[in-house]
Amino acid sequence: MNADNDIQQMIAEKIGAICRETHLTGQTQPEAVGMMIASGDYPDIIAGGNSTKQLIEAGALIPLDEYWDDYPNLKNFTPDVQKEFLRQPDGHIYVFPQGELYKKDMTVNAAEAFWIQAKVLEWDNYPEIETLDQLFDLLERYTKENPTLEDGTSVIPYTILCYDWYYFCLENPPQFLDGYPNDGCCIVDPDTHKVIDYNTTPTAERYFRILNEQYNKGMIDSEFMTMSRDEYIQKLSTGRVLAMCDQYWNFSDAEKAMISAGMTGNCYVPLGLTIDPGMSEQYFTSTNALSSVDGIGITTSCKDIDGALQYLNDMLDPDIQTLLQWGVEGVDYLVDDEGMFYRTDEMREKAMDPAYKTSHLCSLQLRCGYFGMNLDGKNAAMPSEQPSEFFETLQPEVQRAFEAYGAKTYPDMLDYTFIDATEAPWYPMWTFANGFSTSTEGGMAWKRVADMKHEYLPQVVIAKDFDSAWAEYLEKYNECNPQAYLDELQQEVYRRIKIVTGVDESGN
Amino acid sequence: MKRKKSGQVLAVRRKVSWKLIKRQRELIILMVPFVIYTFIFNYAPLFGWVMAFQNYSPVKGILGSKWIGLDKFKFLFVGNNEFLKVLRNTICMSVINLALSTFCAIAFALLINEMIHRTPKRIVQTISYLPHFLSWIVVCGIVKEVLSVENGVVNELLVFLHIIKEPVNWFTKPKLFWWITAFANVWKETGWNSIIYLSAITAINPELCEAAEIDGAGRLRRIWHIILPGIKPTIIILLIMSIGGILNAGFEMQYLLSNSLVQDVSRTVDIYVLNYGISQNDFSLGTAAGMFKSVVSIVLIFLANATAKAVGEERLF
Amino acid sequence: MQKKEIRLEVHKRKLGLRARIYYLIIGCILGFAVIVTLYPILNTIAISFNEAYDTIRGGVHLFPRKFTLVNYRTVLQKDSMGTGLVVSVLRTGIGIVTHLFCTALLAFVLSRKEFIFRKQATFYYVLTMYVSGGMVPTFLLFRNLGFINSFWVYIIPGLVSAYDMIVIRTYISALPDSLQESAMMDGAGYFTIFVSVIAPLSKPVFATIALFIGVGQWNSWFDTMLYNRMNPKLTTLQYELMKLLSTVSTMSGSSANVYGNTQTKTMLTTTSVQAAATVLTCLPIVVLYPFLQRYFVAGLTIGGVKE
Repeated sequence: MNADNDIQQMIAEKIGAICRETHLTGQTQPEAVGMMIASGDYPDIIAGGNSTKQLIEAGALIPLDEYWDDYPNLKNFTPDVQKEFLRQPDGHIYVFPQGELYKKDMTVNAAEAFWIQAKVLEWDNYPEIETLDQLFDLLERYTKENPTLEDGTSVIPYTILCYDWYYFCLENPPQFLDGYPNDGCCIVDPDTHKVIDYNTTPTAERYFRILNEQYNKGMIDSEFMTMSRDEYIQKLSTGRVLAMCDQYWNFSDAEKAMISAGMTGNCYVPLGLTIDPGMSEQYFTSTNALSSVDGIGITTSCKDIDGALQYLNDMLDPDIQTLLQWGVEGVDYLVDDEGMFYRTDEMREKAMDPAYKTSHLCSLQLRCGYFGMNLDGKNAAMPSEQPSEFFETLQPEVQRAFEAYGAKTYPDMLDYTFIDATEAPWYPMWTFANGFSTSTEGGMAWKRVADMKHEYLPQVVIAKDFDSAWAEYLEKYNECNPQAYLDELQQEVYRRIKIVTGVDESGN
Repeated sequence: MKRKKSGQVLAVRRKVSWKLIKRQRELIILMVPFVIYTFIFNYAPLFGWVMAFQNYSPVKGILGSKWIGLDKFKFLFVGNNEFLKVLRNTICMSVINLALSTFCAIAFALLINEMIHRTPKRIVQTISYLPHFLSWIVVCGIVKEVLSVENGVVNELLVFLHIIKEPVNWFTKPKLFWWITAFANVWKETGWNSIIYLSAITAINPELCEAAEIDGAGRLRRIWHIILPGIKPTIIILLIMSIGGILNAGFEMQYLLSNSLVQDVSRTVDIYVLNYGISQNDFSLGTAAGMFKSVVSIVLIFLANATAKAVGEERLF
Repeated sequence: MQKKEIRLEVHKRKLGLRARIYYLIIGCILGFAVIVTLYPILNTIAISFNEAYDTIRGGVHLFPRKFTLVNYRTVLQKDSMGTGLVVSVLRTGIGIVTHLFCTALLAFVLSRKEFIFRKQATFYYVLTMYVSGGMVPTFLLFRNLGFINSFWVYIIPGLVSAYDMIVIRTYISALPDSLQESAMMDGAGYFTIFVSVIAPLSKPVFATIALFIGVGQWNSWFDTMLYNRMNPKLTTLQYELMKLLSTVSTMSGSSANVYGNTQTKTMLTTTSVQAAATVLTCLPIVVLYPFLQRYFVAGLTIGGVKE
């Protein structure tokens, strides 16, 4: 902990512990963890990310379940469903997730959606937009009348980020358009529990055909295929891009830049589109279990295991959670008669100041914490998610759009879906796909498919002749042996179902 | 110069004898600690190469991992078009880059050396080496800006001169990618690389230049006949060393400038290893590729050295 | 120095039309080079003084659009920067002296044409440039040598570099053999010859290599992260800057891991903070470089000796 940070100081006094945090910089995580395992020197507490599995295999972590009875905050931190996922074959639990939902998901920012500038919606009197076709129709009509911004630069009706791993903006909409949630690597049929490959569905073909038509019409950014993420953010920040598909956190910086330049009408509003009208959509989902083994653990190098446990336990204390997220009462936030927290404009502004952030607010990441609601059950865990706070911080144009559609938050614009891990234990499948490694046939196929999609999907969009380009894509796709990874995904679905329901559906 | 070369040849031919060793004991004593030191720090870690023949897992360690023989090498070379492609890219980019950057660095050093006034000379030099300290992220950002379709300087200039009709998106042209990286590199490193040649120029006896001047030799002839031959040993030695490093084309610049349309020509061996090795927890593949690179380097060094020897130039060893 | 003056005289006298055109051309080429290389520098400086969110809108070129000192304040305010600076200065200073001495001594030995193991020993060193055991074995070795949490990990592993050695050797080889011969006649041993005859003549190349080593030492942070990150008294300035950058980027993307995003890592770096860090890193080198530069002036060495 930094001695020069107020809140960290206060926490240190309260719990009598000091935690020094080290981020691994510049080195890839497998390398760093590999080095630690090779040498046997670990930090006391570690968040291993995707390498958590390696740490457990190496015997680097202590079984938390043997100790947690004395640490109620910690013990009750994770719901039982999640505990089942965390349990290793030897019956022990070694890590805790870093974030856990408390009571209700208060998230105000949407993840993935099709985003459109508020002023475009306003121009057409807030029409009901359900499909991709309707979106492009609106963009076309708007662009015809407003081809340029006030300063004379031409608008870009639609752009697609496809740089490096951010190419999810191009490749994964077919799952959403079909009305499924973000499993990230496949669709899982909720009835049959069969894995469906969204790369080759009729919806995928229709989606790319639409993009192709629009590209050839000049509606899509002519530079999208060579654009890096920085250039993308820069483009968005100028206010020229009317719409795109993305996850909010990815472009939130661009919005902040537009706001600082006074272009508030250019801020984005999310739309949950489907391929045909009248379908249900699951863009915004929240779940009570991430069905993954990834999180924070205590290593065998730790000399004071009780101290470490005490630290993790104390950090979950309601007061400390509030201190960490909201700051100091009376300084960083105020409480009204009903116990609701609120902030003045001055406080809000102060909390944005980087210097204040480092000297006063605590950004400690190496801990467990709740998101959703504050432990008092009234307020949101984070100031940015407090409903009263949030609507205030929105730009007037976005507020008007929200009001027109009867929404208070971004997720309100999309249908809120709660996925109960006891009913759909496989969700989200990306926690499995992230751990694919080339050592298995499926992992190898997954890697090949990703490389191939990177190369061919932009070409499908810009092709003069869509049908032959799509045929070529399918041919290349099948060369990568996609069945291998689909099979592994299917096995994982069955495995997860078995963990939670005890029923083995795999048929072996 | 002639005398020196013949002396060198004689020295090499001399047989190792106790008498000689005794006479040179001071040199040998000076040498011994260095040999030991280098053995510990550079050669001892090579035991890690056994990882190339294992399915190395950090959990089991080098002693406990499973032996798989040549599987990793087979993975790289047997029927792996992708690896052959990245090998081709790496070699082509390195060769273009090496030729271009060596030429520019030497030319730049010569130009600086020709400047008479001291202050501007120092200013030019100081400014020219500064881009070396910028990260590739910054440099590649500027390269992309310069070549951009909208308001990119290059496109605007070419359109203005009627060389092209409308702006071109240069980054979609696989054929140009290697050249773009080479020029980006020249831009960033020329000033820095020229420092070494500048210091080599200082070793040239100024009396030679003066004599040439008095003989009425023109400035270009002076460069050609005195300065260039004077720094030739440095040029050749540096070239030989770079030839050995030809498979180390790096990855940062290529990664930052690349996009899906040119990824066929933009990937280097290092990017491949990062993608299919390290980021997949596979340390063995990286080690196997590293071993392969080392062997290629050593062969190339020998060839380059032998060529230099054959044409009577300065050699590395 | 006298020689230099004479040369300048010669030039001035002969400055005819052709010479003028010649220098004009050189001036133009170098002027172009300066403009082209100056741009990214000025651009970085401008960005470092520009407001972070304004920067990402692009279009900041030579001057900041929304002036601010916040970026520098963010970089400079941390306590750890102070110790980091001390450690960095120490490792750079000690690193230059020890590395230069060892490498130069080795280069001297390997430049002696009569040395019987010259060829083998040179090859032994050339090889080290192209083989590497990889990070894991090196880490294990250093751990066994007790380099973890130690200042010496910055100095000892880098005492000798083959590349620098070859560069120095090439330079020393170009010095006349007669120097050694006459010193030996006077009864001097090899070490004495190195210290009192060869070293003073090799100042330009030493200055070059010192610059290389210094820059390398000053900029390196990877070793700090591998070996000394647990000891705040031993972390270097560069490492602190790198850490700061990564915290800045995790701060701006910290909400990412809560949602069901396919990827939890964010590549966000606040460009302006990075620019400020770059400027601060370059500063000492820019200040010190002119002092080294006087060694790069032709005609000081050999000419000087023969007088």
